[in-house]
Amino acid sequence: MRFRHGSQIVLHIAFIVACLATLFPLVWMLRTAFAPPHDVFRATMSLWPENATLANFTAAFRLHPVGTWFVNSVVVAGAITFGKLAVSVPAAFAFAVMSFRGRDAVFALVVGTMTVPYVITLLPTYVAVASIGLYDTLTGVVVPAIGHCGFVVFFLRQAFKALPRELFEAARIDGAGPWRQMLTIALPNIWGAVAAMAVLSFLGAWNLYLWPHLILDSTEHKTLSIGLKLFATTGEQGGDWGPLMATALLAALPVVLLYLMAQRQLVSAFATSGIR
Amino acid sequence: MTTAWRGAWRRLAGSPWLFAGPAVAAAILFVWLPMASTLGLSFFDWSLLRQEATWRGLDHYRGTLANPDFHLALVNTGVYLAALLPLQVGIPLVLAFALVRVKAKATGRLYRTALFAPSVLSFPVAAVVWLWLFNPTVGFLNTLGGAVGLPPQRWLTDPDIAIWSVIIVAFWKSFGLNLLIFLAALANVPTDVTEAARIDGASPLRQAIDIELPLISPALFFAVVTTIIVVLDEIVGAVDVLTEGGPYRTSSNLLYFLYERGFRHFQFGEAAAVAVLIAAIVAGVTWAQFRFGERHVHYD
Repeated sequence: MRFRHGSQIVLHIAFIVACLATLFPLVWMLRTAFAPPHDVFRATMSLWPENATLANFTAAFRLHPVGTWFVNSVVVAGAITFGKLAVSVPAAFAFAVMSFRGRDAVFALVVGTMTVPYVITLLPTYVAVASIGLYDTLTGVVVPAIGHCGFVVFFLRQAFKALPRELFEAARIDGAGPWRQMLTIALPNIWGAVAAMAVLSFLGAWNLYLWPHLILDSTEHKTLSIGLKLFATTGEQGGDWGPLMATALLAALPVVLLYLMAQRQLVSAFATSGIR
Repeated sequence: MTTAWRGAWRRLAGSPWLFAGPAVAAAILFVWLPMASTLGLSFFDWSLLRQEATWRGLDHYRGTLANPDFHLALVNTGVYLAALLPLQVGIPLVLAFALVRVKAKATGRLYRTALFAPSVLSFPVAAVVWLWLFNPTVGFLNTLGGAVGLPPQRWLTDPDIAIWSVIIVAFWKSFGLNLLIFLAALANVPTDVTEAARIDGASPLRQAIDIELPLISPALFFAVVTTIIVVLDEIVGAVDVLTEGGPYRTSSNLLYFLYERGFRHFQFGEAAAVAVLIAAIVAGVTWAQFRFGERHVHYD
């Protein structure tokens, strides 16, 4: 691109300002999470508190079962991720390399779920979960969420399709059945795509709000995302801002770390979701 | 085991349906069947406790369409869309065009990382972080405003301001996704095309508008769709934490209205009708987008 030296500098200044503005709310969350209680209620603009402390974290755990919420979030997000991959990997493999009657129709049925706004599935799913006794259980949150696996199937099918057919031919001649072909030959070649879908599913499940909010009722069954709302609305007048920001930090940390570690896979997954 | 049995077993174990079956079952059971049930439910009065249904025909649709709270939710959803569409498409687009012109590629990736960071958070986390910034007495925004002589604002309790505060949070939390979509699309623009334009003496601005923009129009189209999804669906996490749709329903939207009818008042039939109406709006907007897209979007 033809940009003279001076305009590069302008560009960098603009981006530095934009990045600082974008990151500022997160910096402020960090600052408040580590600020001693008396400092929180001082109208201040200093970016870091004097005498930073972990007191807000211990206070948060005392006020609400934050540890349990964290574990619940990990269980829910982990189980949804595992469940989605467990049904999507074989399905994607079948749609990509096997030929059978009705394949295209069934593929449309699965991938078509991408176009269904989940709002319209909410009420009957809630009723069904409640009537089989899974209301207020993590299982009740996890199982229906696995049905929304259209994009994972679509993405993994693309990855499987990109593999050369000779790979499977050779294995078939050696007497490997389709399951062995999938597990020992195809899967090791598409780990990047699987990892991308795992991270994407985990992020999505960790961030679920309305669905777990409807299903999980008792305080100790909540996940972090919905516990935060309880925390924000049950504080005394004036609010427990320090402990609340400490809890928000705990809710943000796993996904931010995951993002920083798996950035390349995530970007490719998001980019594909845009091109689809 | 006889060879015949073993052969049958192998055929069964290797059946494509064993591979695809679970995903198909999950899609039917948890997406298609509930979708059909919602449509059915919308014609009945139905109670979770008594589990008995009374046929109501189109009553719930008539009632909903005549409900002033629904009108308000509909108008607010329109405001959310009207504000967020230009913001969420325009700003990431400008950022993406600028970012691909940063020559120091490693620094450029650093910018991308920072700009996308809020997008990995959940709406409730984003909302709680901003709840604190919006705090009227000791929140950062009013402290900053006070320092430059502005009067303190009631960001979330002033009926004229609350919806705009939710819009700020929604923009902050989700513009990064569209930025990634645009960057991925721009990366696919062949360099010889822009190179040719450059040699012909086109300014960077002209290159962006005349050459790159038409080439990435499918991404533009998709960014519009993601923004609509944010407004009709995900934003509810921010609305619920920040304002609970208030004050006086001024920041409520269609999904929040459904949540109230269905899960605060347990009017399932009525809520189902609202769900169908929301889905119809989503389908309508998507259809209009495709119609518009077919004529104006350059797929290549």
